[in-house]
Amino acid sequence: MIILEDVYYKYEPEGIEALRGVSLQIREGEHLALIGPNGCGKTTLIRHLNALLLPTSGKVTVGGFNTNDPTHQADIRSLVGMVFQNPDNQIVGMTVEEDVAFGPENLRLPTVEIKKRVAEALIRVGISELACRNIENLSGGEKRLVAIAGVLAMRPRYIALDEPAAFLDPTATKRVLDIIDRLHFEGVGIIHITHNMAEAALTQRIVVMNEGRVYLDGTPREIFGKIDMLKQIGMQLPQITELLIKLKESGFSVRTDIVNMEDALEQIRSITGKIKV
Amino acid sequence: MYYTGSFIKGQSLVYNLDPRIKLAATICLSVFILWVKPLIAFVIGIALFCAALASGIRLRTFAQAIKPLLFFIVLIFLVHALFNEGETLVSIPFFGLSLSYAGLQKGFFVVWRFLCLIIAAILLTLTTTPSQMIAAIKYFLKPLKLLRVPVDDIAVMIMLALRLMPILLTEKERVETAQKARGYNLRQSGFVVRIKAFLSLTLTVLLGVFRRADELALAMEARNYQRGERTSLMELKLTSSDYLVLIFLGVFLVIFVALNSHFG
Repeated sequence: MIILEDVYYKYEPEGIEALRGVSLQIREGEHLALIGPNGCGKTTLIRHLNALLLPTSGKVTVGGFNTNDPTHQADIRSLVGMVFQNPDNQIVGMTVEEDVAFGPENLRLPTVEIKKRVAEALIRVGISELACRNIENLSGGEKRLVAIAGVLAMRPRYIALDEPAAFLDPTATKRVLDIIDRLHFEGVGIIHITHNMAEAALTQRIVVMNEGRVYLDGTPREIFGKIDMLKQIGMQLPQITELLIKLKESGFSVRTDIVNMEDALEQIRSITGKIKV
Repeated sequence: MYYTGSFIKGQSLVYNLDPRIKLAATICLSVFILWVKPLIAFVIGIALFCAALASGIRLRTFAQAIKPLLFFIVLIFLVHALFNEGETLVSIPFFGLSLSYAGLQKGFFVVWRFLCLIIAAILLTLTTTPSQMIAAIKYFLKPLKLLRVPVDDIAVMIMLALRLMPILLTEKERVETAQKARGYNLRQSGFVVRIKAFLSLTLTVLLGVFRRADELALAMEARNYQRGERTSLMELKLTSSDYLVLIFLGVFLVIFVALNSHFG
């Protein structure tokens, strides 16, 4: 379990308060989407989860370890893996396998174990064939997968991803999201920053942040049911929800707290009785 | 992307040799080439060229790597050929210069030694991945740990420098494209404008690289990087062919030392 208790964080020397009393509990195996307008503190928040940032006040506990305790920093970083927004700024090695090995090397594992973990991580993200490829010759989507594999090789219980589908084409986006889904299915806790509401709608829980605070917290259905509150902070709804709202405004009797395609089709079918899937 | 002198994938005895053997052999041969008599340097050079041919790398690749240095090679040859005293072969009417047999001979051997050094360095870098090279350097620096030299940190620093090199080039291209997109036409600009543009390009590229380096440091920290000892994916193990090459090189060098003192 990851527990944040009344966490405040101020960037020095600018004095910008990025987090203002955030309290949150993230369970193991949970798939959580973190959404909110730019500058609301999402990235600052996830950087607290593996002790990259330490709270100015308040407390962050990961698997029972307080992030303020330097003796447990290595344990915390093994528990929570971090995938940055731009893989180019995260990849250290010259080749795929060298980069994936970077984390296990830091954990001072023996060579045999490093090799085993590298092979396992590459299989999990489906890029074993790229093991010896030079990083510079990879596409954006492949680099993103290398970044995820690099984190997986440390066998974390949680992975925090900062906009994992940013700048990717639809095929690469689908590939990355499928892998995230599979990792969640395998029991890895996912904390996933996104600006794409359709992506957020696929998770179990959404935390909406605004001005450094937790603004809303609930299931996708609960969150996207609070249309006015979301619009107040400039957030959009998933396109499918928007469509149902428009239908309702046009006089059709449909539910508007729908966030996925299957339920939406069900609603549309109920009013037309003609659509076949 | 291919950079002059960067690793090219291949398969041959030279490729399969342990990087420590390759690095040690390159250093030894380089020292030898500079130290021994011209005739012996010539024979070592021939052996080196044979190794280059046997490496499986195309001659064109060697030529590509040597091309940027061609001007210096010609300059070195001319300086030695024209400024050496000896029996004059041809007198040049300008500046009282003359081409002598001794000058030509000296110029040839100096250029030959220079070419041998370049070939040795190219052969090493083309057949050894940067990480193999780092592992070899780390191995040879290991004794310095006794003097508290941070050998592991030096290895990571070399790796990061190599990693940031293509990023630096990409960043430069990105800024240049952005400048062109906003109508910056340097070809039609004067000297002062060009200097200004160069400064602005350098500053922007450096700021971008520093920002990326900051983010990279953070990402390394997130993956539990701490100063000090680390283990490695790369396992350096000497095989029977490594031992054979080592013995062959040893014998080769002893013979050359003997010949060198005999001719001396």
